[in-house]
Amino acid sequence: MRSYWTKRVLGAAAVLLLVIAANFFLFRIMPGDVVSTIVDPRFSPEAKERMREVFGLDLPLGRQFAVYVRRMLTFDFGISFLSQRPVWDELKSRVPNTVALLGSALVLSSALGTWLGVKAARKRGGFTEKVVLLSGSVSFSFPSFFVQLVLLLLLAYTFPLFPLRGSVSIPLPQTGTARALDYLWHLLLPAGSLVLLGFGSWAIYVRNLMVKTLGEDFILMARAKGLPEGRVLWNHAFRSALPPVLTLFLLALPGIVSGAVLTETVFSLHGVGKYLLDSIMGHDYPAAGAAFYILGLLTIASNLAADAAYALADPRIRVGGRVQS
Amino acid sequence: MRKPPRWSFMAFLLILAVAAAGPPMLPGDPGRTMAKPFAPPAWSGGDAPPPFSGAITPASREITIDWKWDAPENLTLKGQLAFDEDSPVRLVWTTAEGGSFTLASFRGGSLWEVDLDARDMAFKTGLGIPPFASATSLLFPGRGVQTLSLEGPAPSGGSLDLALPGGRWGLLGTDQRGRDVLSLFIVGVRVSLLVGISATLLASLLGLSIGLTSGYLGGAADALIMRAVDVLLSIPVLPILMVFVGIWGKGLWQLVMILGLFSWMGTARTVRSLALSLRESCYVENLRSLGAGPWYILYRHLLPEAMPVVLAAVSLGVPGAILAEAGLSFLGLSDPRVISWGRMLHEAHGFGAFTAGAWWLIIPPGLGISLICLVFLDMGRAIEEMADPRLKGGGGR
Repeated sequence: MRSYWTKRVLGAAAVLLLVIAANFFLFRIMPGDVVSTIVDPRFSPEAKERMREVFGLDLPLGRQFAVYVRRMLTFDFGISFLSQRPVWDELKSRVPNTVALLGSALVLSSALGTWLGVKAARKRGGFTEKVVLLSGSVSFSFPSFFVQLVLLLLLAYTFPLFPLRGSVSIPLPQTGTARALDYLWHLLLPAGSLVLLGFGSWAIYVRNLMVKTLGEDFILMARAKGLPEGRVLWNHAFRSALPPVLTLFLLALPGIVSGAVLTETVFSLHGVGKYLLDSIMGHDYPAAGAAFYILGLLTIASNLAADAAYALADPRIRVGGRVQS
Repeated sequence: MRKPPRWSFMAFLLILAVAAAGPPMLPGDPGRTMAKPFAPPAWSGGDAPPPFSGAITPASREITIDWKWDAPENLTLKGQLAFDEDSPVRLVWTTAEGGSFTLASFRGGSLWEVDLDARDMAFKTGLGIPPFASATSLLFPGRGVQTLSLEGPAPSGGSLDLALPGGRWGLLGTDQRGRDVLSLFIVGVRVSLLVGISATLLASLLGLSIGLTSGYLGGAADALIMRAVDVLLSIPVLPILMVFVGIWGKGLWQLVMILGLFSWMGTARTVRSLALSLRESCYVENLRSLGAGPWYILYRHLLPEAMPVVLAAVSLGVPGAILAEAGLSFLGLSDPRVISWGRMLHEAHGFGAFTAGAWWLIIPPGLGISLICLVFLDMGRAIEEMADPRLKGGGGR
């Protein structure tokens, strides 16, 4: 158990360091001097030198990197070029929105995908299986933003059931309940479309696992004991197929984070992905680096959460044996 | 009985043909303004007038326009007429209500060149209206038959073309700049195919060489490479691509390089496991005992074995690259001068296709991307089955 966690946490830390290093070096291999991209080239040499000192660019590269790592870990991302405000102040309000979108999309699509996958495995060739296969092939070949644009056109323009853009209404509703409902109303279409696009491939995977598991001897044994079908399906078959299902979480995660960036753009949500795009478009490098870092951090955190769930689900780890990897 | 070839191969040939022959066959530059912005497709009906065109030639010196709508946005008259006789000629516009205006006149000579646009200041002052008034509402005061006729001696050659941009246009309407969506759609095939295929070829080449090296060498190199693959597979690629594009620039070839650099991991994994199993196989061991060097074995024996797998990986990888290109273009991170399907969706989203309800800006490029992806996925599966017939029929379904 302990060795499992040491390995996972060390791995996460390594990825985190890699993200920070990528951030650090990516924005330094830009063509041209960093200073000349920020300040007017007509500044006097003294002023440029002063700028280099302010940004810490006169230090040796190793020191610069050490300072950079410390600043990233303490969420000190510097000042945005565009708004002249601290980047973290701008990002702070956006992180919960992205977490809400990512979290609801992940949880709902995996729950729906699991349920439908198990259902499809029990009754092969049925209606559920057709729905699952259709959704799976749609999610592999249709661009997510296209499906979302069509949904937006249909459900927000032609039949105006949902808002066209934004995370909240302007002006904000007065009472707390109304505000929460308003937030949910704005979240429903973005998160719903991600679920619609995500559950299919998930369900196909679960179905294939379950089909394999249902053919095994211990299922025959459970049925022979006369257990009710629901118990056989969920407590025996699904329970033993659970750990590999959880690894799917890890595989699906990067795609969902990428999808969230596109989703936030389609629906003009007040989130981290949209902020990343706007900063890149505006050549606002501190802000872009910070947004990239936050997205990386969210991915790593969800990875660790999935690892924890895996540890709980797999008795070989929970009880404390050795796992062959 | 021979089975007919898979539909996807036929569809692929069709797409290739469109990409190769479509753009040169288009009449004129796809960037031209054809009708008013957000004009719906001609067949979708509605109240808007269709585009109108007519010509004054030696054979017909009059154009009659049976106009049943509000005044059009603009009117243009372009071309040249040749005359044998040296006497004055005039172009006269007669409205349905009987008013008549001289649009242009010519003192006589051999060749008359005309280039009129109803939005021009000179045109409006010629009609005697203030510069900010609308010339077309003067020329189209009511619904009915308006005529344009040439008065004077008959021309001996040439033609004058009259064009009224309509509120409806073509098969797929127009975009926010009044460009023909069908032309843009046909031109856009090229970018998707080009970026998708070349980025995937680059990625497969990288994946092939990395996978072979990793699998054949084994040991620390293998562990390191596979660790890197794990890490690259666990971080979301789109933000990385966005950052790279933001730093490197939005050019087409930069995009291909960046996509190639970040999508070799899957192929590398597959090729590695193949190389691992081949390395332990008897015939490779025999080769080694005969004194064959690692490069010879890699190049002459493992590479040909891995080829079908790589070919399938190319075909299965193209949709990913096309979707990534489309995603980046949709986000606006592509060269604005290059017309691509993702760019079309970006412009539709950014320039108010929604407030215009312009579905014809969204459905065609989106379906185009999806169709190309489906074709490549099915081709990839077909190639996989050819390489490994056990896959046929078994497995998933």
